[in-house]
Amino acid sequence: MYSARDTGVVSTDTPGTNIEGEAPVVEETVETDEATITDDSELERTLGLSGGLAIGIGTMIGAGIFVFPGLAAGQAGPAAAGSFAIGMVVALLVALPTSELATAMPKSGGGYYFISRGLGTLAGTVVGLSLWFGLVFATAFYLVGFGYYAVDTLAEVGITIGEAFVVPIALVFGVGFVVLNVTGTENAAKLQNGVVALLLSILLVFLTYGGLDALGVVGQPSTPETFMPFGPVPVLQTAALVFTSYLGFAQVATVAGEMKQPGRNLPLAMVSSVVIVGVMYVATVFVATSAFGSGRLAELGETAMVDVGRHYLGAYGALAIVFGGLLATMSSANASVLSTSRAIYAVSRDALLPSIASRINLRYGTPHVALGLAGGPILLLTATGQVEVLAEVASFLHLVLYGLMCVALVALRRDEPEWYDPAFRVPGYPVVPILGALASFALMALMKPISQVVGVAIMLVSAGWYFYYARDVKLRGAL
Amino acid sequence: MTRVLVPLAVLEGQTVSPGLIDLLGTVDVTILGYHVLPEQTPPDQARLQYEERATAALEDVAAEFRATGGAADHRLVFTHDREQTRQRIAREVDADAFAVTGATGSVERLLVAVTGQVAVDRIVPFVATLVGDRPIDVTLFAAVAEGGETDARGKLADAADRLREAGVAVETDLATGGPFEALVDAAAGHDAVVLGERAPSLRSFVFGDESERVAGETVGPVLVVRRGDDETDEPDTESGSG
Repeated sequence: MYSARDTGVVSTDTPGTNIEGEAPVVEETVETDEATITDDSELERTLGLSGGLAIGIGTMIGAGIFVFPGLAAGQAGPAAAGSFAIGMVVALLVALPTSELATAMPKSGGGYYFISRGLGTLAGTVVGLSLWFGLVFATAFYLVGFGYYAVDTLAEVGITIGEAFVVPIALVFGVGFVVLNVTGTENAAKLQNGVVALLLSILLVFLTYGGLDALGVVGQPSTPETFMPFGPVPVLQTAALVFTSYLGFAQVATVAGEMKQPGRNLPLAMVSSVVIVGVMYVATVFVATSAFGSGRLAELGETAMVDVGRHYLGAYGALAIVFGGLLATMSSANASVLSTSRAIYAVSRDALLPSIASRINLRYGTPHVALGLAGGPILLLTATGQVEVLAEVASFLHLVLYGLMCVALVALRRDEPEWYDPAFRVPGYPVVPILGALASFALMALMKPISQVVGVAIMLVSAGWYFYYARDVKLRGAL
Repeated sequence: MTRVLVPLAVLEGQTVSPGLIDLLGTVDVTILGYHVLPEQTPPDQARLQYEERATAALEDVAAEFRATGGAADHRLVFTHDREQTRQRIAREVDADAFAVTGATGSVERLLVAVTGQVAVDRIVPFVATLVGDRPIDVTLFAAVAEGGETDARGKLADAADRLREAGVAVETDLATGGPFEALVDAAAGHDAVVLGERAPSLRSFVFGDESERVAGETVGPVLVVRRGDDETDEPDTESGSG
């Protein structure tokens, strides 16, 4: 369908300025499959489908498999697998509208960009700043998860240092990631591809063996337990908690401006990463609950999967899982740091933050200010070590974005502007985006009160910032 | 009209030597100003900060080229992948060759390598146009494995005849041994090198692009005559679905 090589887009009215007199940088561009062409220069599209998948899968796959099975089984019993399946359905309902928006506006900034253009500056500011903090919470969550796996890895090789070291290790590596991103000029994306491929192979072997075992094909069949020991409500609440493991598909949209053949690759990368990851999650929880029963899993907590690995494949299984956990949490944290800096750049370009936030340093060519604005809060939050709250707040803030993206899609479709010409259109419009929005908001309602309070507070502060700083900036339809 | 693409890392202060500007005076030139960014940096972000400075530098370089006679324009690209950008722009402007800049004074002797499977049919007319009626001596060079001398000598003599017909002063030089090492040896005493582009190979993947290595070893500029577009174009199987 994406045959038009020149989907030219024209800017319309003048955008206002913020309190410092800076105006959004809005320029006429021509998007082709290979580059974005502006008046004086071109921006090469260099990411292929595999790069997009690596960002999507690489961001998502860590948490769901390596951190949540124990926690989720404690809350929902064996039906935790159902919670993950619900999460996948919600993610798909959002991924499809996101794909449409991304092909209509293949620019860096992703969800923030769509909402600010579709719904205006207030919604844009709230989402843009909330997305920044949402990614910060998510990264802190991945780092704490990484800390748990680092401690367990050391324990597997015979060095027991105890859980007191989880947060210090997470902090050290958090600093490491930020410094690496500021100074590293190597091909981080290629490394990410490799890590994701390795991780997927480990998981595939493990899940195949564990799955066969659990079904009684090899070894002893396991005793079935009550599927929903605590009833259906905890299953839904758990879905809200584990939704953090699906945050990531929309990160693909933050690199939309760098994706080759965006009309084809963006929808493919987003939808397939959700499906691949979702299937793996459901399989993992099934295998895990078959190994131990949910009560025992809950006792094992964040790193329950290590014992599941040991149960099926002995010491090697345990080692493979801790190694996988290290890789996964690392790739998630790293991909999120990158997305955070892109999110900050996107709002700063639109004059919603001071333009200094999008400076690039001369020595390394990296956005050091934005990376610092990502790194500082990440470290603060990592220091709290609160896995569940970090995860839920991250989900909450992302769900705001997801819900509003669906709303933005409906708003754009109801009164299609001239420039709106997506290469991919949501099947089942308007049902899919409406369900996506409702499901996103419903998951928010199911979260713990503390997460909701923190999330709403961040949104209110963002809205306050809009009224103080950027009230006169007009972004709706400004392309 | 013959066109040469001159990629230039313009924001890193890379410049074109006066000798190369003179040498390219007989052809049209597109200067490709590029800036390679790490994956962490969206190209658009770099554009905001550097576009003006880069454009000004490119205007200056283009003016220098125009002063020698040929037409010159410029493109500016922010990218994560230099090779992809170079290939795309070369295809879009239909360039016959691209340059790897190097230091040289006035070019009096030009080494033209036709080793192996390169498109001699494209190299010969390119060199004839490039040299024009200027007093530039051309050495046609090929390296062969032991035993292949007769064929290669015929090929060299053939190409030399065609260049002489165009009024170019030509010598031939046939070497045996490793193509790369022999070429670097032969380049001594020449001011610039013309090569044919090869398909990417394991060797170029491991050691880097041949033209860059030659430029590195010989210090002087290298002009790489592109393969035909039908050969360089990737099969377009991916588009049109989606």
